Amino acid sequence: MMERSPKPPEALMRAIVQDLRPVRPSPQPLRLALRMVPLALLVSSVILLAIGPRHDLSVLGPLLAWGASAAQFVLAIALVWIAARESTPAGRLPREIVYLAAVTASLVVVFVTLLTFSTSPTSEPLLRVPPLVNEKLRDSPWIMGFGCGMGSTLAGGILVLFFSRVFRNSLAIRPTVAGALYGAGAGLAINAGWRIACPVSTLWHALGAHGAAIIATVILGALIGRYLGKRRLRIGARPS
Amino acid sequence: MSEGDQELRDLMIRYQGGSLEAFQEIYAQLSPGIRRYLSHLAGDSEIADDLLQETFLQMHRSRAAFNPAYAVRPWVFGLARNVFLMNRRAARQWAKVHESREELPEFPVLPEADRLGSRDEIRRGIAHLSPDQAEALLLHHEWGFSFEEIAGMLGISAAAARARASRGMADLRVALNSFQRARA
Repeated sequence: MMERSPKPPEALMRAIVQDLRPVRPSPQPLRLALRMVPLALLVSSVILLAIGPRHDLSVLGPLLAWGASAAQFVLAIALVWIAARESTPAGRLPREIVYLAAVTASLVVVFVTLLTFSTSPTSEPLLRVPPLVNEKLRDSPWIMGFGCGMGSTLAGGILVLFFSRVFRNSLAIRPTVAGALYGAGAGLAINAGWRIACPVSTLWHALGAHGAAIIATVILGALIGRYLGKRRLRIGARPS
Repeated sequence: MSEGDQELRDLMIRYQGGSLEAFQEIYAQLSPGIRRYLSHLAGDSEIADDLLQETFLQMHRSRAAFNPAYAVRPWVFGLARNVFLMNRRAARQWAKVHESREELPEFPVLPEADRLGSRDEIRRGIAHLSPDQAEALLLHHEWGFSFEEIAGMLGISAAAARARASRGMADLRVALNSFQRARA
């Protein structure tokens, strides 16, 4: 048995002495979440600028168009904040709040989708592309669905990768949950921009393609979180 | 913030700046309590020694993750708990550890319970509690954490932490009374 002296054992001291470079303290969870805002806004804005705003914005009105997206964006940052809290050893939120946030985020996406469809049930892929392309998209709606799903998954994936870099020092006891949370935040932030650009509001498209993209970023975040957690366990192996 | 907390925070800031002496001082101040906590969690002194070493190694590797706005003790105790749980690979193993241990772990004697029974009876009494109750009870009464701090470490609400500690103390009293009656 190890001596119960408050002196660090030699093996531990050797490991400490090997790397004593000064480090900069991490920001607090809220600041860390707010740090994500500019990049998330940038990616969402690029999508909006690249595809252009949907043609029925006037039908939706500012509240359902921009207001609903702003709400989703705020919710996305809240999820990243919860993930940051989850990653702090003494800062975890009650489990119920974590699950409630995840359920609320899902319900908000479904509710906004239903509301958008009931207000403006557009199925015409009127994009700023040659008419022939729009015709082709109209004939094969799955292409539009695939494009939206892949596009928002890729954009969300970029955000997830950035978030996981910020969370690489995460000390979460449930790294998969923390990863899923920031993955959900990334997916939601992208969807906030994407829904204003995508001209199709049918339920199968909005929930199937856009929803699947959010689920994909959740899974990606969870996998990265899990990997980082396992990696931490490996590098945290006792010094010999 | 108490003087001790402030001192630990200052040490942590110096440690983040690269001071070996600050690390040694943090270790000297925190390791006895963390070792007892790990001993309680793992139910085995030798495992606790290994986990203690790993906790401080993790703390070193993750020292940048500490923000000076945090209180140091709950942060390091929370980290120790993470190390314990991650070493078991899954939180569900937590229950199995308590079910499977054969010998009584080295539980500290609660000041409140000291008058109610012998050291051995208190250890047996705590071993009878559910793992959740015993942990909340010890974190509050033995290591002096507030219910808010315990909530942050365990991922529960402060009210739930209070309820666990309170039920744990009530159950401990019942167990100690029954030991006393059996003795009489």
